[in-house]
Parts: sequence; C-alpha cells; structure tokens
Amino acid sequence: MSALMNRDEFRTALEDAIKGKSANKSPFSLAWAGGTLSRAHLARWAENHYHYVGPFADYLGYLYARMPDRYTEAKDFLLANMYEEEIGGDRHTDLLIRFAEACGTTRERVIDPDNMSPTTRGLQSWCYAVAMREDPIVAVAGLVVGLESQVPSIYRKQTPTLREKYGFSDEEVEFFDLHIVSDEIHGERGYQIVLEHANTVELQQRCLKICEIGAQMRLLYTTALYHDYVVTEEAAQPVLEAA
Amino acid sequence: MPIITFHKGGQVYRDEVKDNTNLVVRAGIKQFPYPHLRYECGMGKCSKCACRVLAGAQHLPPPNWKEKKQLGERLDAGYRLACQLWVQHDIELAQDETAAA
Repeated sequence: MSALMNRDEFRTALEDAIKGKSANKSPFSLAWAGGTLSRAHLARWAENHYHYVGPFADYLGYLYARMPDRYTEAKDFLLANMYEEEIGGDRHTDLLIRFAEACGTTRERVIDPDNMSPTTRGLQSWCYAVAMREDPIVAVAGLVVGLESQVPSIYRKQTPTLREKYGFSDEEVEFFDLHIVSDEIHGERGYQIVLEHANTVELQQRCLKICEIGAQMRLLYTTALYHDYVVTEEAAQPVLEAA
Repeated sequence: MPIITFHKGGQVYRDEVKDNTNLVVRAGIKQFPYPHLRYECGMGKCSKCACRVLAGAQHLPPPNWKEKKQLGERLDAGYRLACQLWVQHDIELAQDETAAA
C-alpha cells in the first residue's frame, strides 16, 4: 500500500512518471533533432499537430466547467490558459499554420481533419475523454502536467534545429519559441494545482498513472508519425525506383 | 545563481533565481518578481514586460527580432523585453510604472 507523499516526493514522482515516456525519445523527435526530416515530413507533422493542440482550449473548457468552484485558483488558471491559447496575443494555431505554410502545405490542408492519422485522432479523443470524465485534478495532471509541461523541453531541442539545419526564419518558427515560455508557465502552474489538491493516496496514485499514460500517448503519437510518414516513404522508395 | 535587482515605483526588490531563468515565467508561476513585474502575452507581442537594463546588459544576447520590432528606438535607451530573456548572470532592471503605448 502506498503512503501519502509530501509535496517534494510527489513532485519527483510526477516528474519520473513523465520522464520514462518522454516524447523526446520518439524516432520522429530524434530525426527532427538530427535534421534528417524533409519539409514535407514537417508539413505532415503540422497537419497532425493542429488536431491535437488546436482543441486545447476546448479540452480545458470542459475541465473548467467541472472544476469545483472552491478551487478558485485552479479555475482562474484554466481560464487564463484558454485565453492565452486563443486571444491573448496571436492565436497559437495561427502560428502553427504559419509554420505549416513555410513547410509547403496550406491552411486548408492543416484544418482538414481528414489529414490527421488515426493515432492523432486517438490522442485527441483521449484528451477529450480525460477532460470530460476524469476527476478534475487528475485531468489537470494528465493534460497539463503529463502533456503540456513536456513542451518546453521538446521545443528547446527542436527549435534551434529548425533555424540552423532546416533554414526556417524567426517568424516561421514563432510557434515553437512562444511555447518555450508559455508552456513553462502552464506546466508549472499545473504542477502547483496538482501538488496542492491531490491530497489523498488514491488521488496521488491516479495523478501519477495519468501522467504516465499522457506521456505514453504523446510518445505513441510522435512514434506513429515516423511510421506513417517517414518509414512508409522509405519502404516505398525501392518499389518506386524499380518501377 | 543570478541575483535580480528590480526597480519599480521607487522601490527596489532583490532576490536570487535559478540559472537560465525567464522572469516572465517566474512571475507567471507567482514567484519573484511577482507581483511587481508587469507582463501580459509572454510572446514578445505586447511589450508590457519591457524593462530598462541598468546593469548586466553585457551578459545578455543581442536583441532578437521580436525585441527589435516591438522596442525600436527604445533599444538604444537600454530597454529589453523580459519575456525574451533567459537570465544567467546578475542583472539590475527598472520597469516604468506605466507601459509605453
């Protein structure tokens, strides 16, 4: 039987739950960091990523409505997070589309849900399910700590590569730059909410489990991108050459 | 670890932060320089976090494209956007009481 952890122990346990399944380890992320993807691969990434992050304010909206009103700080955080995603500065998805266009695809292709892979649809569905059905504190752990807090470390690795190896301009990679700041704030405030309100053994264990699953889902999503767009293309190459 | 000296409204606030810290991120998670540092978008668009660097500017990287676009001539007066800076050395900053339009 697990014991109730203090804040420091619980924080370390949450970080460990994510670390083992970090999306930084997916083949797509490694190929990205190594500069071996083509702009067409990055375009496919953007077309998929839009359907995962595009509804982020929607996920949080469902969660906001279910968060008990006595958790005022948590509710305010969710509201601020939604505002920043959509209307605080530039709409985050518009910056993603700007990057997508620089990769050679179009706004129409990006927003068309038919262009996401089944695995991306699975990740999006999981996010909706967590937002609508889980205990609100467990849902913050899954969506904000498990998923959003990973973003700065991923983009810190990927953004310099986009400039230096792929030759994108500062404006074209703004989507990545901004998330290094915004998701550092969101992730940390998510941690604060979970550390404060997950105050039973059962809640702590459920938060740990959902962080692990969230990180697993993101890893699954990025790994699938590699198989769907990079490996498939490589496998088709000898056939195309022989034809 | 860097020591931040922050001037605002005739007061001086000072504290130590972790290496490679972004002060807007700190304020966003309600740690020093919260609640004194004014900021808004966190993405170099609104300029609300603009501060004048009084000491330590030599340790900062050159202004990036967002700072150049938002601050223009104010760069010459020593202004930088706090949201765009990752602080690795001691720094002394002053923020005007009202944000420039």
